[in-house]
Formats: sequence, structure tokens, C-alpha cells
Amino acid sequence: MTDRPSETGDESEPVADETAVDAVPDGGVADAETVDQPVADPTADEPELDRGLIEAWAAKMITNPDRAYRASFYVATIFFLVTTLFPFYWLFVVAVTPRNNLSEVGVFLPAGFNPAAFIEVFTTLPFHRYVFNSFLIATIATVAVLLVGSLAGYVFGRLRFRGRNVMLLLVLVTSFFPPAAFFIPLNRLFNTNVDVLRPLISAGSLYNTPYAIFIPLSAIFLPLSIFILMTFYSQIPDGLEDAARVEGTTRIGALFRVIVPLSAPGVATAGVLTFISVYNEYFFSSLMTDGRPGNWAPMLEGILRFQGEFEVLYNLMAAASIIAVLPVAILVVVAQEKIVSGLTTGAVKE
Amino acid sequence: MASVKLEGITKRYEDVTAVDNMSLEIEDGEFVTFVGPSGCGKSTTMETIAGLTLPTEGTIEIGGRDVTDLPPKDRGISMVFQNIALFPHMDVYDNISFGLRLRKYDQEEIDRRVQEAADIVQLEGMMDRMPKEMSGGQRQRVAIARAIVRNPGAFLMDEPLANLDAELRVHMRTQLQRLHRELDTTIIYVTHDQAQAMTMSDRIAVIDGGVLQQVAPPLECYNEPANLFVAGFIGSPAMNFLEGEVIDGGFESEYTQIDFDPETHGVTPGQDLTVGIRPEDVFLAEDSRKAASPTKAFDAVVDVIEPMGKEVNAYLLFDRDVEASAEGRGEGQLLINLAPDTDIEEGDDIRIVMDRENVHLFDRASGDAITHSLE
Repeated sequence: MTDRPSETGDESEPVADETAVDAVPDGGVADAETVDQPVADPTADEPELDRGLIEAWAAKMITNPDRAYRASFYVATIFFLVTTLFPFYWLFVVAVTPRNNLSEVGVFLPAGFNPAAFIEVFTTLPFHRYVFNSFLIATIATVAVLLVGSLAGYVFGRLRFRGRNVMLLLVLVTSFFPPAAFFIPLNRLFNTNVDVLRPLISAGSLYNTPYAIFIPLSAIFLPLSIFILMTFYSQIPDGLEDAARVEGTTRIGALFRVIVPLSAPGVATAGVLTFISVYNEYFFSSLMTDGRPGNWAPMLEGILRFQGEFEVLYNLMAAASIIAVLPVAILVVVAQEKIVSGLTTGAVKE
Repeated sequence: MASVKLEGITKRYEDVTAVDNMSLEIEDGEFVTFVGPSGCGKSTTMETIAGLTLPTEGTIEIGGRDVTDLPPKDRGISMVFQNIALFPHMDVYDNISFGLRLRKYDQEEIDRRVQEAADIVQLEGMMDRMPKEMSGGQRQRVAIARAIVRNPGAFLMDEPLANLDAELRVHMRTQLQRLHRELDTTIIYVTHDQAQAMTMSDRIAVIDGGVLQQVAPPLECYNEPANLFVAGFIGSPAMNFLEGEVIDGGFESEYTQIDFDPETHGVTPGQDLTVGIRPEDVFLAEDSRKAASPTKAFDAVVDVIEPMGKEVNAYLLFDRDVEASAEGRGEGQLLINLAPDTDIEEGDDIRIVMDRENVHLFDRASGDAITHSLE
């Protein structure tokens, strides 16, 4: 009880400033001399004071700080929910606005209701093909990144050898360059006809193939995954790997049978980050194909295709955007539990 | 079942030599314990046998087959680890059958063997438990079941009891001995606890600084230690050491003098000598008939008495001026075991004798034993 007054005295000050001007002189001097006197027992004084609504509310908060914390928690939560979810809602509003009313699109309510936009998206363009392209490319890239990242993460996380830190730094440095810096050489390379590839790819060059997208993107997102996986793998006790090797696995077998399953949160985190990044990637994806769905143009390219020479079909673009988000949303929900523990704890207990 | 043979095993890390030219033959069915202080290279030696590290030099044979360059999985061994190392994401059945499944045994065979191994270590009805739901002793039993299920040629056990509490440790110790008797498999056991080494092994390999000090049955290590290190390491409480030199007609240190003929033991007057005497080989002068061949009596002062129940440990000072060191084992101090009914008190002046039959002489320069009896 004795240290209560000083606490409440401090907290009450700004409230007083805001709410009632005549309270200020009192509160202002209070700090120094009246610490123990007027605030000593705030609950006892309460009924006698004629307080305004806000003032009473503030007094309640002061006597019961838990309420204040809970209130601020809800305020903050609602704020973040609104800022993150409102854009989606607004996309939905735009999507269901009929084509003719697009000029008078509302903020909260659509001008008309045309859910058919979600079907027109697929009839106007083979948008599903674009989504499929992106999905496939992102999946392949994720698998490739996790596979290579696991091997590299194992080496950097669990083996000791000369030059380890230098090599790790080199790997990470690749991710420091702006990806655009790689574009011109890569574009040249992928447009070059390579005779060896002719039996595999009709044109003999990688342009307009999924390889042209997922190879550079995998390389760009690999260092981050290596780093995440490295930290996870390094925390698996040596004894477990030794036990697996004695029991009958090779080092690589021990990696995939013991270390990777035990690092599931880390693998999920690296995988989801890679998937989302590749799925959403625009720069390489749009420049490495000619934009036709048959040539592995990605989902973002598809959305842009609703922008014609004379008209921009905002409603269809919005509907397509919502549809495109779905695979990622589902993925994140599925992997959520693992990701959260991966991002927050990062520790593996034996 | 397999013999294990190490030949000239050396393991060097950059500038540290962890194991130095170790050669050792372990017979089929033998229980050999590597014992030594932490960091002495005993675990590294075991890792080279397991194949978890490759030796810098030397060869390893298991069951007559050179396995020096084979990966661990192809060596026909199994291992129990200090931190138990059960796979936390697998239940007991999956843990035990892990090695069998990797080797593509058919399901019936796996079930039969897992059941058999689980019976041996008494794990009935726990097949679907996860390791984290089990107690330390249960986990250790699963680890042992995992090791025996493959019928390996040799078991390697790296401090398997170190993480268990004292009571369980003693219990598991007898279990392991029973297991060894039942399976009759070669067991190589690593520990820093000489009590485990003494009680379980057919032979003890005492290691210090990466060098094999002595390989012998436990009692031989105890009664005839090859050098000062083994003498001090094996036995609890440890042997007393008196530092002095050879004189005409015997040994002399600051406080003691022991008569013997230097020539019969091949020492020359002036040579630095360390005399070792175990606490139980020192007697009060009035009980000197208990000693087979008592030395002449020395004066001593009782510093501290520790009644242990079946015996009394008495820390003695040869002289009241001796500064007692913290461990009670410094120069001028002596630890002796007495019968529990001995009537002495702290501060008493007493006279003691040593049993000449159990006086060990060591050359101080090399540390090597010269003799284990003056008779």
C-alpha cells in the first residue's frame, strides 16, 4: 500500500491534463509535496468528487491498472486487425462492384453487388493457369531451397572446418545485392540457345520456361533459408546424430530422418517464407516470360492482364487478387503453429 | 560377438593430441572399461571405435575385420550414449526398431526382436510412449534395448549412467552386469567413475592424457598399479603418497623412514622416490599385529576423523606444524582407514605402522612402479 500513491500520482497526471482543466493546478503541484496526502486512498475519495464521465473512467483505470492494460490490448489489436484486414475488405468491395459503377466505388459499401466477378476472372482470361504457374514455380523453388538449404544448413550448423565463417559470409553476401543487379546477365544467359538443352526444351533456351523463374528466385531466397535452417540444425544435440549414424544411417540419412523432423518449426518457417516470396515475386517472374499463360507467366502477370488498352477492369483485378491470396492464406494457416514456434522460440529441446 | 583390436590409434586435433598411439586388444565377450579423468581421451577412443571420428593414424579391427575406414553403420556395433540420445520424435517402438527398419528387416522379424529386447530390459507395455513421458531410468532402458536389438558384435557405452541419480545408477550397474552375463557380448564401457570401472569390468583400461596407462583386471590395477597415475586414480579414498629419496638402507622423507635394501629393488641411493600406501594398509602401532609385516612406528597427530559406519577415515598430520591442505592429502599428511570401534579423537598423538607387504615404490621421475611390496 505504501508505494501505491507515487505510482498513481504519476499516472494520473496526463489524464488530468487531457480531461479537466481545473484539475491541472492540483495535479501539477501534487507531485512533490502531496504525494502521500490526496491520493493516499483514491477509492475512499471517489464518491465525493463530482467527476465527469472520462474522469471517472480514468480514476477507475488508475485504481485497477489491469483494466487499462486490457483496454489498451484491445485497442492495439483492433488497430492492427483493421489496418491489415481492411485492404482485403476493400478489395472485396471493389471486386463485387459492377463494371459500370467502377467510377463510383465506395469505401465501405460497394455500389451494387456483382459476385459474378469471381467467375468472370476465369472466363475472361485463363487466370487459373496463371495461379497454377505461380503455385508450381513456388512449390518447386521451395522444395529446392529446403533441400539445398538443409544440406548447407547442416554443413554450416554442425560441422567445424577451416573457412566456415568466410564461406557463410559469402553465401549471405549474395543476398545483400539487389536482385535487379542479376537480371541482365541472367536474362542474357537464359535467352542463349544451349544445344544441350534442346532435347529437353524445344527452343533450347530457358526463356519462357519455369526454370528461368525458379532457378534465380531459388538462388536469391536460398541464403535466408540457409541461415534459418543453420540455426535450427546447430541446436540438435550431437548425440542424436551420432545415435542415428551408429544405428544405421549415413550423415545425410541422419539429417533427414532425425535432424530435419526435430527442426520442423525451422523448416516450416524457411519453407513458408520462401514459398510466399517466390509466389509473390514480380520482377523476375514478369521479365523471364513473355506474359502468356502457356509460357509459365506467373499470377501477377495474370492480374495485370485485366488492364486493357481502353479500360482497366478494376473489379476483376480485385477479384483475381483475392483469389491469388487464397493458396498462401491456406498454407499459412496450415503451417501457422509451426511457424509461430519457429519464429519465437527457435529452440529445440531434447 | 566380436573381438576389438586397436593398433596404434592416434587422434590429433589441430595442435592437441587427444589419443596417443593406443594399442589394445579386447577379446570376444569381454567387458572392458575405459576409465580416466575428463578430457583424457577415453571418449575420443570410443568414438574412433564407433567410427564417429576417424583416427589420424592407426587401424581398428572388429571381429577380425579392418573397419578403420568404414562408416559407423557398417561396423556391426551399437552404442549407448551419455545423454541417452533417444529420438524425441519417435515412440519407444520406433526408437528400438530404428536400426532394424533401416536395414529393411521384414515386419515380423522386427516385431519379434523388439519384443525380445524389450523383455530383456523390462519395458513391457511402454511401446507407444514418447521418450519425454518416461523417467530417466526408463529412457536408459529403451536406449539399451535399442542397442541390443540388432545383436551387434560389440556394445559401446559412453558414460551411460552419468545422467542418472545415485540410487538408479547402482541399480542399472547391476542390470548391466546381468545383461553382459546373459548376452555374453563384448562391451566397451567408458566412465570417469572408477567405482563403476572396478565393479563391472573384466579388465580396466586406465587412460590419462590420451595415453594408455594400464590395462589389467580391476584388482590388479588396484593392487599392482603400473604407475603413479593409476595408483592415485584407482581406489577410493585414494592412495597416500610420500615423497622422498633413496638412502643407504631404505627410503627417507621429511617425516618417515622405511627400511629396505635398495639393491633388491634396483634403486640407487639419491634417487627420487615416491612411496604409495593405501589407507587400509596403515595401522595403529598397538594393532601392528594386523599388518603382515609392520614397518617401524611413526608419530602422527589426528587432524580430522570421518566416521563412515563400517570404518573410520582419519586424516593424520605427521607433525603439529604441518599446514593441512584443503583436500587433506598434501605433503606431511596421511589418510588412514581404521576399524569403527577404534578409540581415537581429533588432536590425539598416535603412533602408526604401515604394512610392508603393501608399500608401493614409484620412481618419481618416470612415475613408473618399482615394486608393490617390500617383502
